[in-house]
Amino acid sequence: MPIPIYGFVEGDTMGVLILAEEGETICSLTCKLLDAVRLRVDANYQYEAVYQGDVLDPDATVLQTNLKPLQRLDLKRQHDVPEGSYNG
Amino acid sequence: MLNREDWLPLARKLDWEFSYVEEREVFPEIISGHPWLPHNAWKDWEESFKTSYREYVENQHEKDMAVYAVRDAVGRLENVQRLATPWINGLKVHAAALALAEFTAAIGNLRGTRFGRDSAWRAMASFGALDEIRHTQIPLLLMHELVRWDSQFDWTHKFYHTNNWLAIAARHFFDELTLGQNAIEFQIATNIVLETGFTNLQFVGLASLAHGAGDYMFEKMVTSIQTDEARHAQIGHPVLALVLRHDPEYAQYLIDKWFWRNWHLFSFLTGVTMDYLAGEQRSASFKEFMEEWIVDQFFRTLDEFGLKRPWYWDIFQDELEIYHHMMYASAYTYRSTFWFDVVVPSPDDRRWLRDKYPKHWNEIDAVWECIANHWKRSGVGAEKEMSVHSSALPAFCDMCQFPLCGGTPRKNTASVFELNGANYIFCSEPCRWIFQREPERYAAHKDLVKRILAGEAPADFTALRTEYFRLTPDTWGKDVYGGEYEWLSKEPGSS
Repeated sequence: MPIPIYGFVEGDTMGVLILAEEGETICSLTCKLLDAVRLRVDANYQYEAVYQGDVLDPDATVLQTNLKPLQRLDLKRQHDVPEGSYNG
Repeated sequence: MLNREDWLPLARKLDWEFSYVEEREVFPEIISGHPWLPHNAWKDWEESFKTSYREYVENQHEKDMAVYAVRDAVGRLENVQRLATPWINGLKVHAAALALAEFTAAIGNLRGTRFGRDSAWRAMASFGALDEIRHTQIPLLLMHELVRWDSQFDWTHKFYHTNNWLAIAARHFFDELTLGQNAIEFQIATNIVLETGFTNLQFVGLASLAHGAGDYMFEKMVTSIQTDEARHAQIGHPVLALVLRHDPEYAQYLIDKWFWRNWHLFSFLTGVTMDYLAGEQRSASFKEFMEEWIVDQFFRTLDEFGLKRPWYWDIFQDELEIYHHMMYASAYTYRSTFWFDVVVPSPDDRRWLRDKYPKHWNEIDAVWECIANHWKRSGVGAEKEMSVHSSALPAFCDMCQFPLCGGTPRKNTASVFELNGANYIFCSEPCRWIFQREPERYAAHKDLVKRILAGEAPADFTALRTEYFRLTPDTWGKDVYGGEYEWLSKEPGSS
């Protein structure tokens, strides 16, 4: 069952809903969320996914990170990393 | 024959002491409101206008005649067609939000007419109800002629009958404020917070912008409505004074709660129109109107009552700098989900906005830069509309029902709260506080996301837009210029 998650991307003006598949990686979920906000957000940053205060391992799966439905997931810019491409 | 001053008290103070029923049966607390006090506490209730029925009818007739005269002179279709297109779209926003909401205020006033605690209050609330019926029918009448030219004006009547996301937010607000409310909370929330405070943004601030835009019909309509509001808003003052004397903590709570609820509604309704759709004739920013009419004048009124500024004052001041900008940039990228057209602010607009909102404009400006770049890359024209449009499902606040646009682009302030195994999300701390004070009132309401997850609304974006929001290709919102901005083609990197 897909897990509905509230996604917030640093630089964006609003939150969006994304559906996370249990088997997909955090890296894939990050790309999905960035794609959802691409009209409003400059993608030329690197981002890390933060859930309940913890930075998530991009290679871990959604199931492994224990993401709960209707909770908040943030993509934070890695300001010390030169602009280029985002995770994934 | 009695003179007016001697006759009016006789005609307004009509209560007698009940012998065959209990006062609590006639005025139950659940519908008359808290605090419940015996009539003896209310018997000196008085307001300053003291209008008689005859005076009321004569005055209203004259005001209606003046509105019709202005409509005949400058309010015809050909006059509206000469107005700037962005302004016309601001007109569509207000026409839709105003007309039927005013009718709910008629129902709220009728609650005061029946369950107000003194006969003078009930008499004035009767006139208030008649006022609100007038405020319903004037915009319906004036906008009806425009429907044959532009079907988006049909939303003047249609808006509240849809499950459009903005209609859900507006109904959530007005259902509570005017339809489901006890008489005391209605009169304080509506007469004090809405009418003494926020509607001045519409009826004074927006009226002056309408004048600048050459929209004399809209200016006349709202200033005529304002003369009624100024009279019946007086009902709330003596109600608030008595509640404050008997339960000051509750009076402060009502002010704090309704100020915040009004703030979010008017940020979209008025803030967006003033700063993005009013065009170059705008004389002041939304923030400046707010500072004059709300921060200075409204809170001076509250000071006179001995009330404090809301506990979230610092949060409000931060939002004043950015909330409606967050909303508008978000809404632009979902423009086909509402019934009016919108614009990308030009470089001149953005300079003006940077000057008016220096604290956070850089962060918002980056978003507009991104949107403008998408127009450049996709190419312009009506057929490219959906190339510069989002399709991901927005998330909505479980209190105000607006998209989660709290905080800044750098730090969105949304937070999740669990209650009885269910998660609720709020855009801001005050929205969360309002919910947590009365969860039994709000918890059962499903925001749009929860309706979709429950299978009550379509998950497919196209079906959501047409079947659930009741929009059509003719009526859904577009970029006013289809992305064809002269300044955009001159910018480096334009194709």
